[in-house]
Amino acid sequence: MNEKIPDWKNDFPISQAETTDVTRRQFAKFLCLVSGGLATGSAFVAAKSALFPEKKVSGSHRVCNKNDVPVGGTRPFVLEGSTTPYILIHLENGEFKAYEQKCTHLSCAVFYKPGTGKLECPCHNGWFDAMTGEVVQGPPPRPLPKLEVEVKGEDIFVTGA
Amino acid sequence: MSTFRRAQSQAHPNKTSTLMLAIIMLLILNVTIQIWLLYNGLNNALDHNPGIAIPAFVGSFFIFLINCGLLYYLPKGRKQ
Repeated sequence: MNEKIPDWKNDFPISQAETTDVTRRQFAKFLCLVSGGLATGSAFVAAKSALFPEKKVSGSHRVCNKNDVPVGGTRPFVLEGSTTPYILIHLENGEFKAYEQKCTHLSCAVFYKPGTGKLECPCHNGWFDAMTGEVVQGPPPRPLPKLEVEVKGEDIFVTGA
Repeated sequence: MSTFRRAQSQAHPNKTSTLMLAIIMLLILNVTIQIWLLYNGLNNALDHNPGIAIPAFVGSFFIFLINCGLLYYLPKGRKQ
């Protein structure tokens, strides 16, 4: 039988093994490529933090009336001209605290668990201290960004920390 | 014409393998350090600690240059 080699085999003269096997040389080169990618990522982070620093909250903002938040209760709010969600907490000891309502792990919304003095991130079981915003447990790498709370008469105001 | 290097390679073919393994191990170690630098630079930048990001980048870039230099020492493939 005279079996003819199909045309496409001439057009793409690459064996299947060549396309799937990775030689050690290729692997080493790939590691070098990954290394370049990581260096580029670090460059991006450095440039972003040096050239475009995050704006801090300026001025004093009214959130709500003091009686709107019962003890152990919370109230979400956003500041004018910003979309960052914040949460105001009325702790059991009577203090008010305000934190960004974004987990520092993967930006899930955090919630105050009444009676425990802790904020919970339900996504990956992360916990923050409601008094300080520090991480108590779980994957979050940084404390929650916080705002200073001032109670003026019956009104609650927040200012940048 | 035979050279010293060729004779050596023929007498000890395992050297190539050892060298390759050593270079790959060094590359993996360097990439791990770079991941650590990136993670810490990013976390400190987000934590309003921008002083870490630039040294982290300089270190990461330097390691990248070292990695590129290491590729020079990759053993050549066996000559057919």
